[in-house]
Amino acid sequence: MKAVLFLFALVCTLWQCVHAQIPSEQEQHVTSFFNSHGGSTSRHTNNWAVLVCSSRYWFNYRHMANALGMYRTVKRLGIPDSNIILMLADDTACNSRNKFPGCVYASAARDLDLYGDNIEVDYRGYEVTVENFIRVLTGRMDPSVPRSKRLLTDDRSNVFVYMTGHGGNEFLKFQDNEEISAFDIADAFEQMWQKKRYNEIFFMIDTCQANTMYSKFYSPNILATGSSELDENSYSHENDRDLGISVIDRFTHHILRFMEGVNKTSQATMQDLFNVYDYEKFMSHAGVRSDLFRRPLDQTYITDFFGGVSQAEVMSPPLSLSPSSNEGSEPENVPESELPVELDQSLDFTSWISSDTNATVRSADEVYGYDGILHELNSRAHAPKQGENMQSVRAWVSTGLLVALVGWVGSNTT
Amino acid sequence: MFWRNNILAVLLLCCTWCLATSEEFHEALTFRPLQDGRLATRFTFTTLLRGAYPRDPSTLQEEDESQHYAIFPLALGQVLREYAVTELHLTLNAGKWDYDHWGYPDEPGVGTGAELWAWMGESAARSVDERWKGLRNALSGQFCASLGSLDEQRTTSPELTFRPEGSLPQWGTTHQLRHGTLPSEHVCTENLTPFLKLLPCKSLTGIASLLNPHRLFDADWHGLGVHVRYLENEGIEVRLSFQSVFDPVRYSNGRRDWSLRSVFDRVIDRSCPIAHSSEIRVAIPKEETAVAITPDSYTTHAGFVYFNVSNASKPLDISMSWPDEQKFEYATVSSAVPLTHVSVRRTLKGSSQSRGRLSVSITNHMPITIQTSYLESMPWLLQFYLHSLQIYSNGVSRDDLISIVSYIPSVPHVRPTLFQAILTLPPKSTLHLSMDVIKPFLRYTEHPPDAQRGWDLPPAVLVPLLHSNSSTLDPGLSNPPSGFEQLRLPRRMYTPVLLVDLATPDFSMPYNVIIMSCTLIALIFGMVFNLLTRKFTLIRVSPEPK
Repeated sequence: MKAVLFLFALVCTLWQCVHAQIPSEQEQHVTSFFNSHGGSTSRHTNNWAVLVCSSRYWFNYRHMANALGMYRTVKRLGIPDSNIILMLADDTACNSRNKFPGCVYASAARDLDLYGDNIEVDYRGYEVTVENFIRVLTGRMDPSVPRSKRLLTDDRSNVFVYMTGHGGNEFLKFQDNEEISAFDIADAFEQMWQKKRYNEIFFMIDTCQANTMYSKFYSPNILATGSSELDENSYSHENDRDLGISVIDRFTHHILRFMEGVNKTSQATMQDLFNVYDYEKFMSHAGVRSDLFRRPLDQTYITDFFGGVSQAEVMSPPLSLSPSSNEGSEPENVPESELPVELDQSLDFTSWISSDTNATVRSADEVYGYDGILHELNSRAHAPKQGENMQSVRAWVSTGLLVALVGWVGSNTT
Repeated sequence: MFWRNNILAVLLLCCTWCLATSEEFHEALTFRPLQDGRLATRFTFTTLLRGAYPRDPSTLQEEDESQHYAIFPLALGQVLREYAVTELHLTLNAGKWDYDHWGYPDEPGVGTGAELWAWMGESAARSVDERWKGLRNALSGQFCASLGSLDEQRTTSPELTFRPEGSLPQWGTTHQLRHGTLPSEHVCTENLTPFLKLLPCKSLTGIASLLNPHRLFDADWHGLGVHVRYLENEGIEVRLSFQSVFDPVRYSNGRRDWSLRSVFDRVIDRSCPIAHSSEIRVAIPKEETAVAITPDSYTTHAGFVYFNVSNASKPLDISMSWPDEQKFEYATVSSAVPLTHVSVRRTLKGSSQSRGRLSVSITNHMPITIQTSYLESMPWLLQFYLHSLQIYSNGVSRDDLISIVSYIPSVPHVRPTLFQAILTLPPKSTLHLSMDVIKPFLRYTEHPPDAQRGWDLPPAVLVPLLHSNSSTLDPGLSNPPSGFEQLRLPRRMYTPVLLVDLATPDFSMPYNVIIMSCTLIALIFGMVFNLLTRKFTLIRVSPEPK
């Protein structure tokens, strides 16, 4: 008899504990709202890109064009110049050998000028060295180095690192007189991890025997891809008859072709990008390394690394929310008639939106439209209150039952 | 209701209007057709901050007052105040300015590559050298140029040649000059992009909309300049300039007619509303052939034709043509008159990799004696032997024609040479100056990545002065007053850069040495180890039991 009662008491306490851990309905609604555009679970809030062309001389025009093609893609998808570190080891556009001054083309048809009118090259010429590259990644620089040459990432930054040039088995040549090895890059990434300088890194490299360069990484959250296996060359794509040299490499060319179909709101995933890899087109086996990357590739968006689209952060609403006057809190683009007539007094969502999370609503605005969000939030304004009430009622009932049980047991035994 | 909501906006507008009256922005574009069919253009964007004062370097340890500008570029203003710079000149040029055929440039800083010089007041809080380092790094980030490498191995202080162009405030401390050159620096669109972002109208409206990088960097010579100076009764002036020399004959198959469309591939669609004055000047060539200029809405004054961009009808396309000329005829060498008073030629002679001879020939075309100051700031990798200096004028050795003002010899790996002298040039003669130089054998790690190309040597700078017997004239005037012919002497003349070929080692040798020594050690060690430890013994093998 006593054993049965003891078991019953145990079951009651366990039931109460379990109920206390079930997330309330309010939290469930909010999480599902912020994940409702596909379920990408990346935690990043800003994007950076480090694009390195490490070879010099006119005949390496294609490496400059590779890096510039990536620069234009990344800029088009939303990363601003202040978040891009572009390192070009030689000057191609204004080179005296260039028949088209101020222009760098990535195709023999010369349809798109990659240099354009608006470009900022952060490291150029003799400044592109292994030492400067590692200093950029690790952030250990002289205090006088200007801001535009620094990688000011934090632990919520997704960094896209692209390197191109001549390379070999676990090394990449910088400017034809020094090399960086795969171990150096792996250690630099580990330093970045320990100093919390990245959330996730996407490392792309287009050289000969490129896949060996990412074989030594050991830090978490790194996704890497290369253009060719050990003992394989990466090939250039096409020659330009007027310029007299090759203008683009095969791997980068096909990646850029794929990227032309991606825009800021695209939901293309990394798996779609890697599905483009084809030995017939590249003439080499391009590889992917995803064992250090915790998210599945078919749920990781291209724009997580290439674009400047930021994720939202769920913050707890401020404690005292009184309905504020219309002057300060009304967002400009919502006409008076669209605001819901009945606003709950304790949870004034308009002040919450305009004061704290304007940015959140703006970015989601592109996807949903402002009215839809407001409507959805207001329809759920009442539901969280009911859930909260139920939870507290359940807690009190189970406590009361337990106390009654203990009292009955005690009175029976005496 | 409207006012309550927008009272802040109205106040802000009033504030900016008040501030705007103390800042002025002027833009101008000057065209000069040259004798060899080329066209020299010069864009000038001047922003004047009235009543402003450079930062006193003695206040460097305290917090600076906050800077509020409407038109004045904030990025540049912050850099200037952070390092308490009184005067700053930065030029980025590409090409060789041909003084003989093109005359004197409107902006004197035409040395190839990057040239940065600044006048800064001394301060006990932060030394001038420390602020110079910060300044060049800040400017390298601002203008996307590798100015950070103008370290103490390339910095000198040639105070006699680079006089301040504005006034230096009297703070009780002396001002010091820091000057550095990088002759191998390239100029490209990434230098033009931040340059345009310093302008109030950016490159969208006004004269700045003509700055098309695809055409500017195709020019035979182009250079951009940033000049900041303090004018005593006015304030701080920032002058952004872009000079270039185009070749219309090359674009148009033989005719030297040009227009804004043919030169820049653009026209002016809108004028900059912030500009106080916005004008285009075209110089009328002083020759006999008739010249036609369109559109007709111009005023003529002192050999120039002026267009007011704000009033002109848009889109504005100015063109100049020579209707009587079928095809442009280049002047022959014998009939081409040199356009400058003085011509300079500098060469490095010698075929050895250890020594050479630096030779400078200066020709005086004037019938009077001219004195010129001559400056060489050579990096330490070319060391002068000053005792071997020889001067010849018309075949006669004339040591009296040179008087050396200062000579700071170089210290290898530490500082460059600074050589300043005053040369006296007899009328209508050529002066030959030469001295021995030695070329070092650099350390293995000091070579640049393209070591076989050689090293670029900075240009020598000449400042022609008038002989003390003649009447003194202001050498700094760029626009002579009308109707008065006077000797226009330039502020500075630059020689072209030189390329010196230093002995390069075999860069694969360290690899070879390591491999060879490792192999030898392995073989020798193996042999010695075997000899010491291997022992041959006889073993009897007993016959098998049956």
